[in-house]
Amino acid sequence: MSSRRTRSGPTLNFKAVLLGEGCVGKTSLVLRYMEDKFNTQHLSTLQASFVTKKVTLPDERRAQLNIWDTAGQERFHALGPIYYRGSDGALLVYDITDQDSFQKVKSWVRELKQMRGSEIALIIVGNKTDLEEQRAIEYETAQRYAQTVGAQYVETSAKENEGVSELFELLTQLMVEHHVQKQQPNDTNNTHSNSNSNTSNALRLQSSSNAAGGAISIADDAEHDDDENENNGGAAHRSCCGI
Amino acid sequence: MANRAPMLRIGQQDLKCRQGCGFYGNTQFDGLCSKCFRERNDKQRKRLLIVTEKATEDNNDNIPSGPSSIAERRSPQHLLSLGRGKKQPETSQVESPSTMPKKKSIVPAVLQKTLKGKFPAVTNQQQQQQQQQPQQKRVPTATENQFMLQLRQMRLPDDAKHKLKSEIKRLDHEIRKYMNTNNAKNVDELSDLVQNAYTRFSNVVHNDPRFEMASSEDRDSAIDFFEKVIMTQNHNLLFSPYFTSDEESDVKVQKRIRQLSWITAKHLDCSIDEVNAEARDLVYNAISELVGIDSYYSPQEKLLCTVRCCRHIFELLKRATGGPASADDFLPALIFVVLKANPVRLHSNLNFVNRFTNASRVMSGEGGYYFTNLCSAIAFIENLNGESLSISAEEFDALMSGEQAFSTPWESALLACESLHLISENMKCMELLQKRNSMINTGITDFERELIDFQREVTEKVDTVMAKAPLTLLPIKTPAFLIKQARAHLAQDSVEAAMGHYQSNLLSGALSQHALSPKSKDIALEDAHNLTLKDTSINSVGRLSPLLQNQPQQQDQLFASPIFNYTPFDAVSLLEESSDGDVMMLGTEFQGGLTNINYDFDLSDQSGDNSVADESKLNLDEFDPLVQRPVATATPLLDTTTDSLIDCDVPGTAVLLPSPLKPEVANYRGFSNFDIPSISCNTGDFSSLGQDVNETMETNKK
Repeated sequence: MSSRRTRSGPTLNFKAVLLGEGCVGKTSLVLRYMEDKFNTQHLSTLQASFVTKKVTLPDERRAQLNIWDTAGQERFHALGPIYYRGSDGALLVYDITDQDSFQKVKSWVRELKQMRGSEIALIIVGNKTDLEEQRAIEYETAQRYAQTVGAQYVETSAKENEGVSELFELLTQLMVEHHVQKQQPNDTNNTHSNSNSNTSNALRLQSSSNAAGGAISIADDAEHDDDENENNGGAAHRSCCGI
Repeated sequence: MANRAPMLRIGQQDLKCRQGCGFYGNTQFDGLCSKCFRERNDKQRKRLLIVTEKATEDNNDNIPSGPSSIAERRSPQHLLSLGRGKKQPETSQVESPSTMPKKKSIVPAVLQKTLKGKFPAVTNQQQQQQQQQPQQKRVPTATENQFMLQLRQMRLPDDAKHKLKSEIKRLDHEIRKYMNTNNAKNVDELSDLVQNAYTRFSNVVHNDPRFEMASSEDRDSAIDFFEKVIMTQNHNLLFSPYFTSDEESDVKVQKRIRQLSWITAKHLDCSIDEVNAEARDLVYNAISELVGIDSYYSPQEKLLCTVRCCRHIFELLKRATGGPASADDFLPALIFVVLKANPVRLHSNLNFVNRFTNASRVMSGEGGYYFTNLCSAIAFIENLNGESLSISAEEFDALMSGEQAFSTPWESALLACESLHLISENMKCMELLQKRNSMINTGITDFERELIDFQREVTEKVDTVMAKAPLTLLPIKTPAFLIKQARAHLAQDSVEAAMGHYQSNLLSGALSQHALSPKSKDIALEDAHNLTLKDTSINSVGRLSPLLQNQPQQQDQLFASPIFNYTPFDAVSLLEESSDGDVMMLGTEFQGGLTNINYDFDLSDQSGDNSVADESKLNLDEFDPLVQRPVATATPLLDTTTDSLIDCDVPGTAVLLPSPLKPEVANYRGFSNFDIPSISCNTGDFSSLGQDVNETMETNKK
């Protein structure tokens, strides 16, 4: 169900997980994003741990963004795989004033690479740029690390609302790209993936439905997305340089 | 028809109608005559028609009943071949011979041909009935009816509905086929089978021209319906299948959670206020939803239940933290709720959803997120150790093994409630007791007051009565001649003075009495010989007391007790023998003097007429040491008549010889504080006794 036939107004269903140590501002990021977009009406909802957001891609297609917050405490670290199973993207958030949180991000990246390989879009997010004077991890350090693992690097400030919407736009764009990339091999791989265990269920569904859908059109959309993002300018240009 | 029925070579009875109508029966008619058969048939057919009409209609909508119903509509031939194998071969004439022989076993072979030819229609009908029987047995359940209703309400073209139905039947069939094969079964294979069917159906819904007209919501609902029906109908097969270890896991998890009962919100760092009643209500709501997961059949409903549970938790967290809760707060709270709920068949339920729900459902959406959280909560519980609860491994082990008792706030809150309850109960009890106590106290004081009043009243009454009717003691009536005689006797015989105090005393008493009688007139109101005891007060007793009466008296008035035949210790007493004799003599002589004392306290009236002592009784009493008191009462009479009974200053002999009839105040206090004077006899040393009396009186007063 993750994608529909083009003619019936396809909705792409993306799932992204928020990973990171506690108190790095995962929830704040989500709240800031939702608040800005929906003018606080969604803040009246009970929780900030799970949000869905319908976004319209530049090519007029609709996509639904599911953002899953995860518990950042160390004791729940081992539960990560349950969350990012079947997810299309991951936001690895750390606090730029906290070296430990950055190390934590590294461990998450290793884990994700091991579990999901390149199937998942990774964005490393350095949050709390408003605390620039206390910065512990230099921008270049993080940027370089992100490049070595094939991830994007973005710096945000949920407090000052810097780079938040750009972050999620980038996330959407990256997930669409990954989605397109996944399609090609999966067209022939369909039966194989079906015999896999449950973890690949979502993937399988997406791929099978995409087989029916138009792969080309999505690829075109992705290009549009790129253009859009570049036009948007602002903080986004920083993140786009990694593509 | 019965007439045409063959009747040869068979016993008459065998050929008769079973109904006993008298006509001949036919084996083709179940041993009935044609008429009876037709009647019965009509009845049955009418009944069947109603039922089968419904049944077939239901069957058409009834998905899991097998692929028969739809096929039936299209081609009746197909129906039977597709059936579950229970249905009888088609009832065409061609097939009838194969079924006939069974029934005709008692019918002669000769007749077979005719029967075959003659009743094809009937047989057909009969066969149809038999065929309808198994269909009739499948009564659609409430859920099936509900599904039919839902299907009917779906906004899909009929074609699409048929397609949906056939797809459902196909998957249903596939599942059953898989479950019925003898191959080694793998739950993943089964899961893939179902998931592939979902994918296939999803493709159908989106690509099939029959769904062309449907809106995307309708397509979604069709997919949902597909899943729901399949899962509900095959729940017993797919839920915790026997070839999986789900049940073992269930038991394991349940046991583990039971062991972890000591875990508190604090251990998990979650912001649930366990003592707050409102928070507790929400926790209970969440728990009941969580437990309710097991009661639903379809994965969707189970997911919905999970969502409801989690919403309660978020509500709880929102109250606790004041803002939208993040996953950092939510997961620990969920773990806490799972630990407190300990739901049954947890693993089976989670696996069931994981395996057989549409995979996109658990991968996206609110339900998927919460379900994932629930899964991770279980994973956390299963892999829990001391470190993850920030306690030492030793402590964790001790708590797990139950060696270390841990009083959780949860339990202690309950305990506190319990004890508070107990305290309040006790307080109530104490209050009641206090009330009763004060009641008793006031009762006691009231009673005391009443007693005092009563005492006063009684005393007053007694006083008034005493005043009205003073105690009158009549003096001894000594005949004048005796006195004269005695006087003469005394005067004559000087020796007699030394004879015995008793006699002399008596005599002198009598004499003095006689002599002083005019004096006592002042006191005695009516009679000169009467002594009136007017006063019952202590003073009077004191006055009666010989010690207080220091008036000079004749020493002879002191006399020994006549009863004990007291012998004085003076020199005169040496003449015991003679005195004894004298006593006896004098006793008889002067007996009247003693016995004539009127002992009556005349309270009723003041006339001394009726106060004549009972002679016989007094005579007896006189010699009875135990009945001294009446005699003693008489003593003050002598006392007062002489105005001084005993003298302390009397010489030695007198002291040694106390009055045998000494007035004494008894210990009796009566019901008032007043000492009602009574006079008793004392045979001991009166001087010392007098003091004793006074002492006892004082102590009594106290």
